[in-house]
Amino acid sequence: MSKQILVACGAVALALVPLAASAHHGWGGQSDQVTEMTGTVVDTVRLAGPHATMKINADGHVWDITLAPPARTSSAGLKDGAIPVGQTVTVRGNRNRDMNKFEMKTVQVRWGDKKFDVY
Amino acid sequence: MQFMAWLEASALGHAMRDTGVWTYAVVNLSHILGVATLFGSILVLDLRLLGVWRQIPLGYLSKPLVTMAASGFTLAVITGAGLLATKATEYVGNPFLYIKFPAIALGLVNVLLIHRSAPWKAHRTRELSSQEQSQLARMGGTSLACWLTAISAGRMIGYW
Repeated sequence: MSKQILVACGAVALALVPLAASAHHGWGGQSDQVTEMTGTVVDTVRLAGPHATMKINADGHVWDITLAPPARTSSAGLKDGAIPVGQTVTVRGNRNRDMNKFEMKTVQVRWGDKKFDVY
Repeated sequence: MQFMAWLEASALGHAMRDTGVWTYAVVNLSHILGVATLFGSILVLDLRLLGVWRQIPLGYLSKPLVTMAASGFTLAVITGAGLLATKATEYVGNPFLYIKFPAIALGLVNVLLIHRSAPWKAHRTRELSSQEQSQLARMGGTSLACWLTAISAGRMIGYW
């Protein structure tokens, strides 16, 4: 009886592994291609939560710009509120594989002559 | 949605966002420690209720395991509120949230049922009949299912 229970628990744990592997917290949900786009800041840099974020308007869509975790983004020079709303920036990164999701995991942000390499 | 907006605008939400670049990471770490303490303890207790390690009297195990599980749960709830409050409105519509919280609620109802049951009340003072043991085993199995579901769904929230 007890051995069967241990085996059953092990089986459940193993069954959960592929779920974790297919998920998007990493870069698995992103396109393999690195692309660039230029847009206007609609929400400034925010160093809150698991990843720093900002929002830009590019090609008529509001994009969620996912940056590095807060500490790393900050040490790359992008502080909270660093780039004011309305500024033009160019971002470089991997867009979401899902074409209906306007989200990019971003490795570099350029603003005027400033360059922030967050990854 | 209204609740999430309120939570995000609360003092807790502001503290999570405005107190430094390491706040979220440290609270997240504490949440994991809380969940690990809860699940590590409850796993051993539930397996014992299910009949594993029957040679160890339940009365020896129940006090430390329940104490640790309750401590871990408390830490997980406090830190979890902080994690959720950081950007609460972004989690509206996250399907895993709607699996996780009902699973936690069921788990807590199950805790209440176990602690109110006759065999649990008696387990430190006398031998339990095999009927009483299987009653506890059923509730132990329910417990394991609830917490495994809650933790699995909780981990998946970030991947939606």
